[in-house]
Amino acid sequence: MKARGPQIGALFSALLLAGCAPSEKVETTVRSTVSSATIDPILAYPASDYQEAASGRDGGTLRISTPIDNGTLDLNLLADTSTKWIGRLIFDNLVYLDHEGNVTPWLATSWTVSPDGKTYVFTLRQGVTFSDGTPFDAEAVRANLARIRDPATHARMTTAYIAPYVDGTVIDRFTFQANLREPYSAFLNVLAQSWFGLVSPKAIRENPKGLADRPIGTGPFIVESYTRQQGITFIKRPDYAWPPPYMHRRQGPAYLDRIEVEFVPEALLRYTALVSGQADLITEAPPQNAASIRADPRLVFSSRVNLGNPVRNPTFNVTQPPFDDGRIRQAVARAIDREAIAQLIGFGEYRVKADFLSANTRYYDPAFRDVLRYDPVAANRLLDEAGWTGHDAAGYRMKDGRRLSAEILAVESATPSAANVALQSDLKKIGFELRIVQLPQGQITDRRAANQYQLLGGGYWHTNTPDGLFIVYHGEQVSPRYSGQNSSRLQDPQLDDLLTRARHATDPAVLRDLYSQAQRRLTVLVPAVPLYENHTMIAYRRHVHGVVHDTSHNTPFLACAWLAEEDRS
Amino acid sequence: MKTLLRRILWRLVAGLGVLWGAATLTFVVINVTGGDPALAILGGAEAVPTPAVLARVRQDYHLDKPLYQQYLIYVAKLARGDLGESYRLRIPVARAIAQQLGSTVELGLWAGSTAVFVSVLLAIFTARRARWLRSASSGTELVASSIPGFVLGITFLLLFSFQLHWLPASGQHGWKTMVLPILTLAIPLIAVLTQVLRHQLDEILEQPFITTARARGMSETGVRFRHALRHALIPLVTLSGFIFASLFGGAVITETLFARQGVGRLMVDATSNKDVPLVLGITMLAAAIYVVVNLAVDVINTFIDPRVKTA
Repeated sequence: MKARGPQIGALFSALLLAGCAPSEKVETTVRSTVSSATIDPILAYPASDYQEAASGRDGGTLRISTPIDNGTLDLNLLADTSTKWIGRLIFDNLVYLDHEGNVTPWLATSWTVSPDGKTYVFTLRQGVTFSDGTPFDAEAVRANLARIRDPATHARMTTAYIAPYVDGTVIDRFTFQANLREPYSAFLNVLAQSWFGLVSPKAIRENPKGLADRPIGTGPFIVESYTRQQGITFIKRPDYAWPPPYMHRRQGPAYLDRIEVEFVPEALLRYTALVSGQADLITEAPPQNAASIRADPRLVFSSRVNLGNPVRNPTFNVTQPPFDDGRIRQAVARAIDREAIAQLIGFGEYRVKADFLSANTRYYDPAFRDVLRYDPVAANRLLDEAGWTGHDAAGYRMKDGRRLSAEILAVESATPSAANVALQSDLKKIGFELRIVQLPQGQITDRRAANQYQLLGGGYWHTNTPDGLFIVYHGEQVSPRYSGQNSSRLQDPQLDDLLTRARHATDPAVLRDLYSQAQRRLTVLVPAVPLYENHTMIAYRRHVHGVVHDTSHNTPFLACAWLAEEDRS
Repeated sequence: MKTLLRRILWRLVAGLGVLWGAATLTFVVINVTGGDPALAILGGAEAVPTPAVLARVRQDYHLDKPLYQQYLIYVAKLARGDLGESYRLRIPVARAIAQQLGSTVELGLWAGSTAVFVSVLLAIFTARRARWLRSASSGTELVASSIPGFVLGITFLLLFSFQLHWLPASGQHGWKTMVLPILTLAIPLIAVLTQVLRHQLDEILEQPFITTARARGMSETGVRFRHALRHALIPLVTLSGFIFASLFGGAVITETLFARQGVGRLMVDATSNKDVPLVLGITMLAAAIYVVVNLAVDVINTFIDPRVKTA
């Protein structure tokens, strides 16, 4: 074994995982950063990350080790981040993005948007078939969107994403019209996301439950077998000929014959499988092993920032004291040493972040990136201004006989998360007492719904459009007994107006201006503390080629992947 | 024979009572730990279900009804053998469990039989032997039975997979991937069983009929295997329930750690996702097996030890 240090680190995380807690939550809290000194203000990955450079070689089996089995392959119903790359194997979408976020053709060859932004007319590609033989046409698109919109489908996220969609009209066999209640600038972006992969209308009609085990799409691979908690085997569809033209040079089938996916929850075991050659590619590559993977000439480590909103911790409840005072929120945001936390949790692999949109998301404005930067002096000054000038025996600030103190709700585990402990010690330095309260996830959800909390632990929201700001911070996204993502309960008329107008706008210059204003407004309101970017990390062996990234999700898009002979010496 | 049948019948009735109790207790525990099941069904943290979808889910799963009605619906379905549909997997609970059961049974049988075989040998060779041998043996057993399963498992992984590269760390590809999970499950069990068996043998080896056997000129090994062992096995049968519980409990950790499929891993998954029907279904399965095992133990003991019949 090359790197002893990281391996022991991995051992401890394995101990923690085995000993406690839902693994999903652990993954969410264990995300971290890279030194901000090296960060370009705007992050742009080259087009070569997303487009196939040269044709590959046919044949072979790619073995993948991945942590999470979502229990169903009916991906339209899910919201889970782990399904993004799996969807691309089985399904195709109406449209695809390019590396700058422009919408490009896929199963829709062209489209028009009415001047009022409420009517979209798509011209569809002909000659496309689902793997059950059903032809792809306008009726198929209508059936898919109708299914996602139907509350009886129980979709976790996709229904909300196309909430403005009312119904569809089949104009002719290959022309589909989408009718929206109101203009929605993110509509096409959303349709490009993996969760909107199109399934066979015949399956929807005859056996929708069967989609959980045998999803039927038009994609480059077919599910040969799916064994829960064990793995999925995909086989190539030889007659496939319609990958996104932007991405794939060959309008033909995938290069790989088979893909064998194994579900391995423990990060340490995935890493070992990769090093020993038992797996060719691993997803959710552990940051603690990044250094040793990079140092290994047989391996490639790949890290990409996700579009959307960065990782935040904590989120303030702006309706409860003391965080109903914006100065306290700003003080907390400026008292947190992001570099240190990022280093602690991300082993130097994460980019720190002090504003509210990922640096590679369209219309990201870097102008406000330092407004909330680490500055304990400024934090202390803000607290003085807010009147918390007294001090008690323990060194905490006081006002009117009360201590400056708040509790953060964290998911129950054997040990408090390192990030929360670091927050606690940073805040102590400015005289703020942070109490970590560990509860089962269910009780946290209940208290969140009942507005009985001051601070919530980590979170992020990934989407391929700046409209992610609407989902996380718009006042509409707060409502009782509804798990909207706005857990800060922020309802700011000015921000709401900007984000709503951005939903209704189509002109890029207008959008840029509105989103810039929204980002500035957020650094004043500070509904949460952005900590670092949300990263997707994978690692693979050198004989795997053509690993291009998905423009929506920055996960691998394996229709282009191919295998060279591996030199095992 | 008639009394035996009546006993079995009585035990079956009691077993049904146990199942009903387990179902009720699980239902209560799940519902008092809080959390809106509709939100759990719709994915928790990584979701934005619309209010319309939430309302529809509450209606479809009867979550809009009072708790006692939900309980009655649940028990009525259970009585018909219907375990419902998993919230997360969206397939029938019975099918979800059936898909995983084979793997757990395979691992459990191997680990259980390994544990019994090894502990019988160990007990026979250490009972009433030199003081140092007994001390060493029982000391080791004490340590082995106290180590948490996941520590043992990770230690094996570090040693045999990562350092020595003798055995693969994860997955299900033939016997090689079985070795470490079996050892992880069997070792704590061996430790406990050996202690119990040795204690039993210690007593039996002092009985007059053993002295008689020795007096007839039988070798010590012969005495231990042919006479003492038979009597020592009775507590082993009685301990079947414990063995089962230990294996099932151990499967939860072992399967997750070694990335094996199985009911234990399914349970971890179901619990952390608050998949109520699946948690209930697995609990019912465990309770049912427990009832059957205890019933079988009772019947077997009647045959092995006639005294039980009249007791």
